[in-house]
Amino acid sequence: MMGMEPLETFVVQTTVEAEAAPYRKIIEDVISDLMIAGAIGRLKIVVRPEDSLFQMVTILREGLPLMKVDDFADVGKGTSMGEVQIMIREERPLPRLLESLWARYGRGAVTQPERRTLLITVGDPKTEIPLIKEMVVDDPRRTLRSRLVDMAIRSTPEGFRVRYHSLDDNNFIFVASEDPMKQEWIDEADKMLDELKGDDVSGIA
Amino acid sequence: MMLVALLDPYIYEGGVHKHGLILELLEDLGGYLVQKTAASTEVTLIMLIPRKDVHLIEELGTKLLGTITRAPMTGTEIAVVSPTLAYHHLPHSACDVAEYLRHGGANTNMIGLARGMGRRVALSADYERKLINEHDIAIFTFGTFSDCIMNKKPKLLEGINIPIVVTGGPDLNVEDIPNADMYIGNIGRVAHRLRGVDELKGLDRMNEKVGELVDRVREDIAKDPLAVLSPRVMKEIHEQIPDIHNVLAPAPITLQLDGLRVKLPYEDYHVAIEMLELDEGVLLSDVARITPSKMKNYILIKIRRRSDVGFIL
Repeated sequence: MMGMEPLETFVVQTTVEAEAAPYRKIIEDVISDLMIAGAIGRLKIVVRPEDSLFQMVTILREGLPLMKVDDFADVGKGTSMGEVQIMIREERPLPRLLESLWARYGRGAVTQPERRTLLITVGDPKTEIPLIKEMVVDDPRRTLRSRLVDMAIRSTPEGFRVRYHSLDDNNFIFVASEDPMKQEWIDEADKMLDELKGDDVSGIA
Repeated sequence: MMLVALLDPYIYEGGVHKHGLILELLEDLGGYLVQKTAASTEVTLIMLIPRKDVHLIEELGTKLLGTITRAPMTGTEIAVVSPTLAYHHLPHSACDVAEYLRHGGANTNMIGLARGMGRRVALSADYERKLINEHDIAIFTFGTFSDCIMNKKPKLLEGINIPIVVTGGPDLNVEDIPNADMYIGNIGRVAHRLRGVDELKGLDRMNEKVGELVDRVREDIAKDPLAVLSPRVMKEIHEQIPDIHNVLAPAPITLQLDGLRVKLPYEDYHVAIEMLELDEGVLLSDVARITPSKMKNYILIKIRRRSDVGFIL
């Protein structure tokens, strides 16, 4: 399952064949609105309006790395004793970085004399520098989860408010209806997922 | 016997320079100015012109280097009804539909039902139906699936006694949708602004067909004409109730095919509206029903027919 292309499989099926293309367009818009295309490897959606049923299975792409301080900043000794200096190259993760630093060292210990420079008063820079370098600032998987749920809810016809979902490893299953959930619908979705997994582009099932 | 000249709706777009000539001619012909919008040196006039005199305004307009186009939906108030106000329907496509209708001269109100979503669970409230029935035409914006549009959503159309237009994605026959008077395809649920060639074509077709529907309603009304024309009432309100000029709402007086909506509070102004003098000894309350509107605390005026009142002003 490694090395999937973004959205290498993207299938939308509806009872009336002609209605699949317009519905696919809605999903495309939702995916691009949520900027989630890069995270999805394979996606299959089945809508059966006559049963009030919406099923979606997704295989997420692997290898979304954690964002560490070392990835976007140079960490080194400061000018004075017991001080660590962080020179950031990218400003976007700064608010999260500040939050993590405040949590660990306290607000008073962190100063920002200049836009891209942070100074932190720590006990022992020697032990703290490697620690700060490895500090995780952002976990794309975590925000991904909420965006994925958002995508599922936006893609569903609005009235389908009885929902089942499961996210395990890279596999996301979502079933929605306006009627009480049926086990067979969930089983169907599980089967869809198995098919999607087997549908390997390399040709090796 | 046709006592009342049929009025045709037109939009004039041209320079501000000498546009007063058009207004003067319009008044001489017995037409009405519905709305005037001036933007720097350009002016847009929405007018109702007596049908047999349109060519006179056209000639003058051409002389002034402006353009005159027929805007069949002028003087109508159209309800654009979406199943709910959730992001599944808004801003696209419901707002796109409303915006396009305004290009055709209509005044539109967006109405999102509280519980219109879904299939089995979809329903509308009495209050909502009454509010929709205050309009000239209701446009229901539905989605992608023919099964929903034909079998489940039509219950939202029950209790609506004004002409109903349904929009949706698939290509359907209006006969397959109970209670609908017109169906327009190619405008289904979308999550982006409608700007593709096909999408705009769908909207153009909608304007054309809704325009035809409005024309049909106008012809129907002409058979048993209104006791007084709604633009005439508008003119009298402008002259006799000066407070209307302080109303900040868009379109303080909204014309309808068989009435008007006056955006003044009912409790403070309904007496003044009832006592509006249309002619010597004829008050508005003699020829129209004046009721509180379901929309805010506005005043709704529905004009009675000749067969009911016995005369036309």
